Amino acid sequence: MNPTAGLSKSRLLVTVLMLVAGAFMIVPFLWMISTSFQSASEVFSRWLPSKLDWSNHKRIWTGNYNFVPYYMNSLKVSLISTAGAVFLSAFAAYGFARVEFKGRNALFLVYLSMMMIPPQVIFVPKFIMFNWMNIYNTHWALILPGMFSIFGVFMLRQFFMGVPREITESAFLDGAGHFKIFFRLILPLAKPALATFAIIDFSWHWNDYENALVFLTSPKLYTIPLGLQNFILENNVDYNGMMAASSAAIVPMIAIFLLGQKYIIQGIASSAVKG
Amino acid sequence: MKRHSWMRKQQWAGYAFILPNMVGILLFFIIPALFSFGLMFTNYQFANPNVSFTGLDNLKRMFQDDQFYRAIQHTAIFLLSVPVSLVLAFLVALVLNRSVYLKGLLRGMFFLPYISSGVAVAFVWMLLFQPSHGPINEALRWIGIASPPGWFADSDTAMYAIDIVQVWFMLGYNMIIYLAALQEVSAEQMEAATIDGAGKGTITWKIVWPLVSPTTFLLLVTGLIMTMKSFAIIQAITQGGPSGSTTILSLYVYKTAFSYYEMGYASTVSWFLFAVILVITIVQWIGQKRWVHY
Repeated sequence: MNPTAGLSKSRLLVTVLMLVAGAFMIVPFLWMISTSFQSASEVFSRWLPSKLDWSNHKRIWTGNYNFVPYYMNSLKVSLISTAGAVFLSAFAAYGFARVEFKGRNALFLVYLSMMMIPPQVIFVPKFIMFNWMNIYNTHWALILPGMFSIFGVFMLRQFFMGVPREITESAFLDGAGHFKIFFRLILPLAKPALATFAIIDFSWHWNDYENALVFLTSPKLYTIPLGLQNFILENNVDYNGMMAASSAAIVPMIAIFLLGQKYIIQGIASSAVKG
Repeated sequence: MKRHSWMRKQQWAGYAFILPNMVGILLFFIIPALFSFGLMFTNYQFANPNVSFTGLDNLKRMFQDDQFYRAIQHTAIFLLSVPVSLVLAFLVALVLNRSVYLKGLLRGMFFLPYISSGVAVAFVWMLLFQPSHGPINEALRWIGIASPPGWFADSDTAMYAIDIVQVWFMLGYNMIIYLAALQEVSAEQMEAATIDGAGKGTITWKIVWPLVSPTTFLLLVTGLIMTMKSFAIIQAITQGGPSGSTTILSLYVYKTAFSYYEMGYASTVSWFLFAVILVITIVQWIGQKRWVHY
């Protein structure tokens, strides 16, 4: 292969083949969007709608199966959880990365071991405890635990350890305390890492189905995944409506991905390779 | 490494930084985990005030429970998706790393399923795999397969159909990690092999594949653990059916606790799940030292 020869034929061929393979990966999304614009008689019979039928989307946003409250609930839960998780994880990550205190390694080992506990182990006790705490079947049952992310502590600790120690050291010798260093020096430097974690954490809360399933029972509190499930249970032959509803859930994530692609991919790559 | 004595000053600050997070970890992870461990030895049922200590009864019951053994089998089939998606991801990463145009676009296309995960995607697959009119079976009939599989509707194929969705979902994540690992494989190593007359296949499987083995090992372990914990896609598509054929262990725990309210017994099964994850983690610790070529 001659790299100076402009377009190489074999490389072009491989690109085309990979585009076909890639198309298979995104076909479910295209089919979903296409079906959401078809009329009921067209579903399963053609790839593209004969004309854009907006009625499915209207049905999702108005009328009996109104997705607006689900959307608002999901936004509320995801935004507050993510904001809390970013702040609290960054705080703890700094403590683990930049202060040598007694018992630090033991504490970190406790964090490590908590990663092995599957969520199924703690669903039942959380269910009982949340009943005692009177937060069962409220958004707090998702938000409060959602503000504590072990993954976030790990990821940000990793990043903070990569910040040259000399930067913090010279600030320290100039008389700055840890809090000043954290807020004035480290946080501004860590913006890309914080953004990466925020995006990953937000998408996790946005898509979280299992916790909502266990801790929410009132339909008016439902987040999007539960709202979607409810819609499908009650309209299981309304395929166009199902796909319009699914689009409403997925399209914001696709938008966030397209906007933050660089952060997400770099963040995921760096957090795992060094692990 | 240079000692940084300043890091040992103001130790109180270390506790102050960690305390807010620690409170939450204690309240929402550690205490519930201990609580659950205790529940394992009781016959606790939700809304039933008669709770008594039953010792090892739940464990005995578990080892005689047919549904438990079936759940293990289904989990094993579910876990097949991990190595399959790893090998596919490696091949895609290999091609994207060296020999394509439009690398960014292609990478995005393969990664998209991972970020848009969740219930919505599960419902799309439910329709794609719809047996009588769904597009996948229409396509199979079009290429001459007269009676394509029933996918989620058939208890013999449902678990494998779930695997397809899971591979599709995990592929992009694994690909991103492999792409990062391949960046570290030096061009010189590749060139030296080419000059020695090694063919492309030989280079890939004898040189590149061993060089990325730490990554493969890490992805295998984390993938197995993650897959073992997750049941959202299955709950959304089949709720464990048809006739229990997709009830994996994690879903079995959920159903035992929240459909049948047998919360003591559910805790026992959930600790079995933990034990499996613990074993995988220990194998990882040992294996990282022994089997992986650095």
